Amino acid sequence: MDVVLLLQLLSAALCLCGAEDSRSGWQWSWACKAGRCIKSDYPVSHAYAASRGTSNITRSSQSACRLTCGQYGALWPRPTGPTTIGEQVVTFHPSRIRFDLQEVAASNRGPTEFVAACTQLFLDNLLVECANSVAVNIRAETVYGARHGLETLSQLVARVPAPLAGAGRGRSASRKHLLLMASNVRLSDAPVFRYRGLMLDTARNFLPLYAMKRTLDAMAASKLNVLHWHATDSQSFPLESPRVPQLARRRFGAYSARQVYSPQDVEHLLEYARLRGVRIIMEVDAPSHAGNGWQWGEAAGLGQLAVCVNQQPWRKYCIQPPCGQLNPTNPNLYRVLRDLYRDILDVFPLGEALHMAEIVDWMAARGQGRTQDDFLQLWADYQSTALRTLDEEVGNSNTPIILWSSQLTQPDIIGRFLSKDRYIIQTWVPASSSLPTELLAKGYKVIYSTKDTWYLDHGFWGSTVYHNWRVVYDNRIPRKGGVLGGEACMWSELVDNQSLDMKVWPRTAAMAERLWTDPDSKSTTAEARFYRHRQRLVTRGIKADALAPAYCYQNEGECQ
Amino acid sequence: MGFGSSCFQMFVSASAGCLRKLLVALTLLTAGLIAILYYGRLEDLQPSFGSNTLRHCAVDNLWTWECEGQHCVRRESRGARTSLATCRMKCGSVPLWPQPTGVTDLASQSIPFRLKVLRLEVRSSYIRRLLQDAFDVFRSNLENLVPSSCPEEASKEHLHDFLVTLEVRSEDRQPLLKLATNESYQLLLQSAGAAKLRAEIRAQSFFGARHGLETLTQLVWWDDTSLRVLTRAHIIDAPRFAHRGVLLDTARNFLPIRSLRAAVDGLAACKLNTLHWHLSDSQSFPFDAQRLPNMARYGAYSSALVYSARDVAELVEYATVRGVRVVVELDAPAHAGNGWQWGPNLSVCVNQQPWSMFCGEPPCGQLNPDSEELYVVLGELYRDLVALTNVTDVFHVGGDELNLQCWARELRGPLTHEELLAKWAKFQKRVLQLLAGAMGGTLPRAVVLWSSQMTRPHYARMYLDPRVYVIQTWGASAWREAPALLQAGFRVILSHLDAWYLDCGFGDWHGGETGACSPVASWQTIYQHRPWTELVPRNLILGGEACLWGEMVDENSLDAKMWPRAAAFSERMWTDPAIDDATLRDAQVRLAVQRERLVARGIAADAMWPQWCDQNPDKCLEPLDTSHA
Repeated sequence: MDVVLLLQLLSAALCLCGAEDSRSGWQWSWACKAGRCIKSDYPVSHAYAASRGTSNITRSSQSACRLTCGQYGALWPRPTGPTTIGEQVVTFHPSRIRFDLQEVAASNRGPTEFVAACTQLFLDNLLVECANSVAVNIRAETVYGARHGLETLSQLVARVPAPLAGAGRGRSASRKHLLLMASNVRLSDAPVFRYRGLMLDTARNFLPLYAMKRTLDAMAASKLNVLHWHATDSQSFPLESPRVPQLARRRFGAYSARQVYSPQDVEHLLEYARLRGVRIIMEVDAPSHAGNGWQWGEAAGLGQLAVCVNQQPWRKYCIQPPCGQLNPTNPNLYRVLRDLYRDILDVFPLGEALHMAEIVDWMAARGQGRTQDDFLQLWADYQSTALRTLDEEVGNSNTPIILWSSQLTQPDIIGRFLSKDRYIIQTWVPASSSLPTELLAKGYKVIYSTKDTWYLDHGFWGSTVYHNWRVVYDNRIPRKGGVLGGEACMWSELVDNQSLDMKVWPRTAAMAERLWTDPDSKSTTAEARFYRHRQRLVTRGIKADALAPAYCYQNEGECQ
Repeated sequence: MGFGSSCFQMFVSASAGCLRKLLVALTLLTAGLIAILYYGRLEDLQPSFGSNTLRHCAVDNLWTWECEGQHCVRRESRGARTSLATCRMKCGSVPLWPQPTGVTDLASQSIPFRLKVLRLEVRSSYIRRLLQDAFDVFRSNLENLVPSSCPEEASKEHLHDFLVTLEVRSEDRQPLLKLATNESYQLLLQSAGAAKLRAEIRAQSFFGARHGLETLTQLVWWDDTSLRVLTRAHIIDAPRFAHRGVLLDTARNFLPIRSLRAAVDGLAACKLNTLHWHLSDSQSFPFDAQRLPNMARYGAYSSALVYSARDVAELVEYATVRGVRVVVELDAPAHAGNGWQWGPNLSVCVNQQPWSMFCGEPPCGQLNPDSEELYVVLGELYRDLVALTNVTDVFHVGGDELNLQCWARELRGPLTHEELLAKWAKFQKRVLQLLAGAMGGTLPRAVVLWSSQMTRPHYARMYLDPRVYVIQTWGASAWREAPALLQAGFRVILSHLDAWYLDCGFGDWHGGETGACSPVASWQTIYQHRPWTELVPRNLILGGEACLWGEMVDENSLDAKMWPRAAAFSERMWTDPAIDDATLRDAQVRLAVQRERLVARGIAADAMWPQWCDQNPDKCLEPLDTSHA
């Protein structure tokens, strides 16, 4: 399917966005030299700048200079195809943009609605940054490609102080701003890796819906396309299941009555993500990492659904409190799982992948006398029964299943338990580990979550170190068949809504360029564009961490 | 969505004007279309206000808590219910932060009340207005405990009267926090007849009384439908150290006044009493001095990112009401570059490359000690800052990391190492003269200087007067700067970078191999650092500061990097408890509650553990591990 999107930007007009400086202030200017925006030696007053009119408008703010400076201007992630951004710019008003959706409409109704919604999001993004006639032509094979095109287009826009004095009179008058768009651009673009993910954990600490939506906004801005939702764990089960209300709604799994996700919440989030080019893959952690939420089995006559729940001393049974694992020998467990799967399938789009977790640390927990092999077999039996249950509910065996790497996925034994046609393995090993390549050699598809670069919780506990954006950016994964892509993981023991943004962003955006573009160059080359992208995230309401003194943003290349 | 292709092509070009009529028609058409789409989308957005907000005020009846041993234990709620907040106040150690150092005698009974029954009675001859202001802050902090969508409910058992009496025996007409200020207080909370409660706070200074109010805040909590307060309390409390500060840096990245105010709110909540404001550095000079407009013009990141004289004065007043002194640092002679380019030779090496030869981090810049104009400018700046921040006895003159190569290269010479140090010492002498001039002839009791080459024993003896200077030591504890300085009779403020630097561990921002310091100091590291156990004489240790240098923090991440770690630091400074497992376990639970208080005041403090641990505190009290290591 071809999606062609035509935009018309009409007639210059003052944009009334932003009004921070008074006319008595001063401003610096920037000039593009050899791909760097160089700050002027001294500032001039706003009044003087205004008297010079519109000449050299790209010099009047750093973001305007950055727009057309260097081969890739202010784009993040960097496009992968031929890209030219000329020096020409035009001013325009966001309310004067027209979208011609005729060619989209030619195909069918769903895509039209999708693209229409995307164009509105695009306008919103322009408005927060805050015209001659310009034509923009975006051609894509899918609506998601078209959405990415709009995202890129929004990055071809910068805000500059209005050069005309007419906007206000007197010293106290506030300053107006103009939106500027690079007007001579030709580029084609496609991602290197098709799976570009971020994992959020809502079980250790609950994340309100608005926090997840904020995260999706930032993912869209960075062209990430998978939100891996680690919804449950042994600490809590906030996911409401109409068929198994005991899990969350009826007191067993949720921290409180309002810290739950209803099916409506999930549906809403799915749609919110879809319009931003992001799919959501649900993970209900099992058979390990399941405790609170599962305690009601015996009282309901179903026997023990989970074992070791909140058992102390926890160090004997699990790696962090509280303990808890599903009881694979209880047939009723699978009845409950069936209901839970049904509820998830009711909400998620047909055929969407499911993450079935599988990190087991129960080896020592129960059943003395069993050997390591017995345990692996028990575990594998659980997995095949759980999968069969899922397939029966779906009605086919096509649902892609993702599993964390574990003892069960060791290269020498994985073939005994897990089919390479069915399972995708998400590896969470250090960059130095050979596990992913061994799995690839055996024909498994792999998602990389390199734990010594893409684990965002590191640095705040134990002997782990924090991976700053340069480390995140410089982590390369092999480009070969079977490598679906990568994923950054935000385990939430030490994060909640208060600090989520600054721990996830802008580092995850650094990974986004690694996965979309996978350039041969290192982070140093990307610095100026990345600083601009961080600013873009902040403008869109994400409290992204600071990367360097503002001096380094303003004086490109001077801090290396 | 499949793992499909999402490639696209884009073409942007300026079109000719020949299709203007067509365009107008298209515009109208599209405008209509956009309008339809827009309203359609508004409807789509409705579910976003779904269950999360609607349930916000619902009484949370999933769980109840019972006190077992020293901890609240979570149980399924059946009928009558005790909230976690209520259980905490009567179970084990009451979550006060920082813990009082004297008598702490608390009832386990509590009573609900509504904010409107709160009254203030002031017993002080001179500072009535300030006490009234502090009481208003106290009241608004209590208001913040009430969830925004939950009205307080009335009931028969509520208090009819809650009188707070503030008695300050001080003759100060304009109270300013000094090193010698007595910050102790005594709080007596007791029944004053049926449904009447009275809190008497007695102190020797305004600052003590304010701390008393802060403690009283911590005896109040939100319990599902109303505020509750303990029915009886007797607390006698005083800090272990006089100088308890946090450094914020507004030069590497600008922090808006609202961020600084929020930081002061947090300091007040933790009874920290000093905001060390590292105002300027080589990267920027955001202070807009009225008589020296070029400083900010050349030095600020933009004309919007400046502090006016009024901004500074208002922040100082805001802080005073909250028991916090603002100590401004104008770093000199190093760490000064942008902002100083406008005058004749005021500074040298500004933005010089390669930076690694002339300074510790980019961009370089140092003041020019040979320039007489420099001293005129410095004198003006000191005059402004002394007046704006009400300096009485503490002023920070900077003095860290002078790069001698820069001076050797730029100043008239040649100069030997010893000559360069002599020049630096002479500069510091001139600074003292200017400072005295700005203060009407007398020097503040404590002129604070960062530790450096100059403060090594040999040079310190030669150039620095221990009666004048206080040295803020920032090297790692193992560098052993403080013992030598104490021996030489200097007073010190401790800021060991291996324990109390809040910016460490976030990696390198200028692209080198590793960051300046690492790892991230956990709250436990900060809390357990107790350098004075080996330092004598103890009376020369004025206190300590946790430092949050601003290279990798701005308003977006300030709260999470500062809190709750600065709160952990505060108890070390106020209470200085001994270190053992029991203390640490106890501190973890109380600090988690203090973190909730900070969040209630609008501070986005970082999380300390899974919420499950808040709800089951007894079951998480071992060092936290993560499965996905």
